[in-house]
Amino acid sequence: MNRIAIKMLVGDVAKYFGILLGIGFAALLITQQSSIFTGLMARSFAFISDTSLPDLWVTDPEVKYIDELEPMQSTALDRVRGVPGVAWAVPMYKALLRGRLPNGMFRSVIVVGLDDATLIGGPPKIIEGSLAELRRADGVILDIVSARTRLASYSALDEHGNPAPGATLLPLRVGDTLQINDRRAVVVGLCEVSRTFQSQPMIYTTFSRALTYAPPERKQLSLILAKAAPGIDPETLGLRITATTQLRARTSWQFSWDTVLYYTKNTGIVINFGIAVALGFLVGVAIAGQTFYNFTLDNLRYFGALKAMGASNWLLLRMVLLQSLTAGTIGYGLGVGAAALFGIEVKGSELAFRMTWHIPAISAGAVAIICALSAIVSMIKVIRLEPAVVFRG
Amino acid sequence: MMIVRLALLPILSIAGICLAAYSVHAGNLPIVPAMGIVTPAASPFKTRVSASGIIEAKSRNIALGVGRPGLVTALPHDIGSTAASGDILIQIDDRDTKARLFARRAELLGTQQELARLKSLPRPEEVAPKAAALEVRKAQLADAQNLLELANKVADPRALSREDLTRRQSAVREAEANVSEAQSQLQLIKAGAWQPDLDIASAKIAVAQAAVSSAEAEQEQTQVRAPFAGEVLQVNVRVGEYAAAGQAAQAAIVLGDVTTLHVRADIDEMDTWRFRPEAVARAFLRGNPSISAKITFVAIEPLMVPKRSLTGSSREQVDTRVLQVLYALDPKDLPVKPGQLVDVSIEATAAPEAQSQPIQSQGVPK
Repeated sequence: MNRIAIKMLVGDVAKYFGILLGIGFAALLITQQSSIFTGLMARSFAFISDTSLPDLWVTDPEVKYIDELEPMQSTALDRVRGVPGVAWAVPMYKALLRGRLPNGMFRSVIVVGLDDATLIGGPPKIIEGSLAELRRADGVILDIVSARTRLASYSALDEHGNPAPGATLLPLRVGDTLQINDRRAVVVGLCEVSRTFQSQPMIYTTFSRALTYAPPERKQLSLILAKAAPGIDPETLGLRITATTQLRARTSWQFSWDTVLYYTKNTGIVINFGIAVALGFLVGVAIAGQTFYNFTLDNLRYFGALKAMGASNWLLLRMVLLQSLTAGTIGYGLGVGAAALFGIEVKGSELAFRMTWHIPAISAGAVAIICALSAIVSMIKVIRLEPAVVFRG
Repeated sequence: MMIVRLALLPILSIAGICLAAYSVHAGNLPIVPAMGIVTPAASPFKTRVSASGIIEAKSRNIALGVGRPGLVTALPHDIGSTAASGDILIQIDDRDTKARLFARRAELLGTQQELARLKSLPRPEEVAPKAAALEVRKAQLADAQNLLELANKVADPRALSREDLTRRQSAVREAEANVSEAQSQLQLIKAGAWQPDLDIASAKIAVAQAAVSSAEAEQEQTQVRAPFAGEVLQVNVRVGEYAAAGQAAQAAIVLGDVTTLHVRADIDEMDTWRFRPEAVARAFLRGNPSISAKITFVAIEPLMVPKRSLTGSSREQVDTRVLQVLYALDPKDLPVKPGQLVDVSIEATAAPEAQSQPIQSQGVPK
């Protein structure tokens, strides 16, 4: 009977393709939208993910998320270092400053100052140059995407300041000089960083040099990056640091969540995009359910015939479930495959896309539930079916 | 067509699932942590007080001042050389002070010689004429007395007029007075200098001597000398430059006794209660924390001072106070120079656990 069920499913090419298309599209929609949403959210804490060496991020107690930091007094570093269980702690400067490009234009840039002695907290991947080059006078490391786009300048401009016809975009290269708050900065390296929410250019330099770029402020220590000693649980250590120093110590994971929650609470990005994702999800569910329900309805007369021939309800139920499982699995595979292909295609572009294992799992669950539900709903029809109805038509 | 339906689509589907699995795997690879170029110092103590320290000479780094402004004419000690206590480090142009010193010395000599002259009185050459004059007077007296005697011996008073007799008597008195005067003159000469004159001459010497001392002091002020034996850590003037007196932003010469180095550790006011002077402490080299050395407690600065950030900015404002603790460091143990920063870790008594509740993330106030 299973063969008959499969034959029923694949027998009509148009219908077969239609049902696979429907389920596949639903899976694609759910997976892709969720991945983009996850990707977008992950961008809000991309800096934390990029800086993966430290276990703990220590900030002023009032700091809510990574993009808005209230600096601490410089002695806070020594106090954190004095907490038992801290293997090491290094300072970090992070702020939005104004950079002036060689052509005179200015851009807001995120300046990250790394501990002078250890240079801990650097970019995850250096494309050109090396981290140690930061020891050179006025040295900074730029992120390569910004160097090619936002910080790049045109080779020639017309009288209105627009790019002249035929002008080429010149990226910033190693050796170029720019100004940050009227101070000289020499590009000594290019790095690759994960894109952040606001996609501002990232400029890495040493802590003391960052302070020379920074406007005068009473307190200058934006962040303390701390590492737990071997065998010490970072979360417990975070609580201990918070208790003894009155500073806010969060693990990378907690700080990332803080950032996501802050954006959820305080900006429309999450809710707006969330609605779009939810709609995508609903549309997917509706299409898949509708397609499969229609399919069963279309096949109602065959079921009727089978029933008339003496097939039990249980047997018919099994047939419908088999059909739904087969169509669901194949359609799901096609859908997530397409979504993954899309993800690979847009990788490294402005579009955020991040497929965590939860997303295919959730969409598999969703597709399974849709198929099961629509199978059950259509089954009610099959069970209630009067076998005679086939012969009436 | 059946193949497509039965095989191709499921294969495509499996391929799709595989692709998704790959995408999940590749898209969520843990980011390889960007290592620093060195691993930071890990404290050897379980509970500790951490501090930032600055290396200084045992004597502290003494910014030597110039007592008397002027052109620098010689710098006998180079940077890095060792100067013994009292060695000249800076020579300021001393032509004018030298000239003044010569003049004062000459004046002193003059007053001294004046005193010697007074003391050497009476001059024998002056005594002889006066003695001779006395003899002359004495002879004249004898002569007058003889004449008077002769007149008195005349028996008949009419033989001599009264006038003649009176004149002879007067001549004797005059001669007597003359002898007396010549005698006094001789005595005056023989007596030599009068004591008050000697006193005045001595006082003049004292005044001249004081003037010489003053000129000498002035002369000495043109030389900046090492107040103790030490190493010349910094020289900020060159020969030919004008060295100003008074407190300058930059000292002319910085001198320090570097036989033993001191680590001046800044301990945050929040942590001072955990600090014990007798605790073991280590200093770690920045840039290579595997190099560290034991340091021994020397003293606590009794006055807590505002924390000095080391950004070098002149517009610094800080409101944290730090306790400065001095530790001694053998320069052989750690390759450091005065002025270098080190990380200091001091063993502490176990901190009592968490007096306060961990700070919860607070929402926006309603």
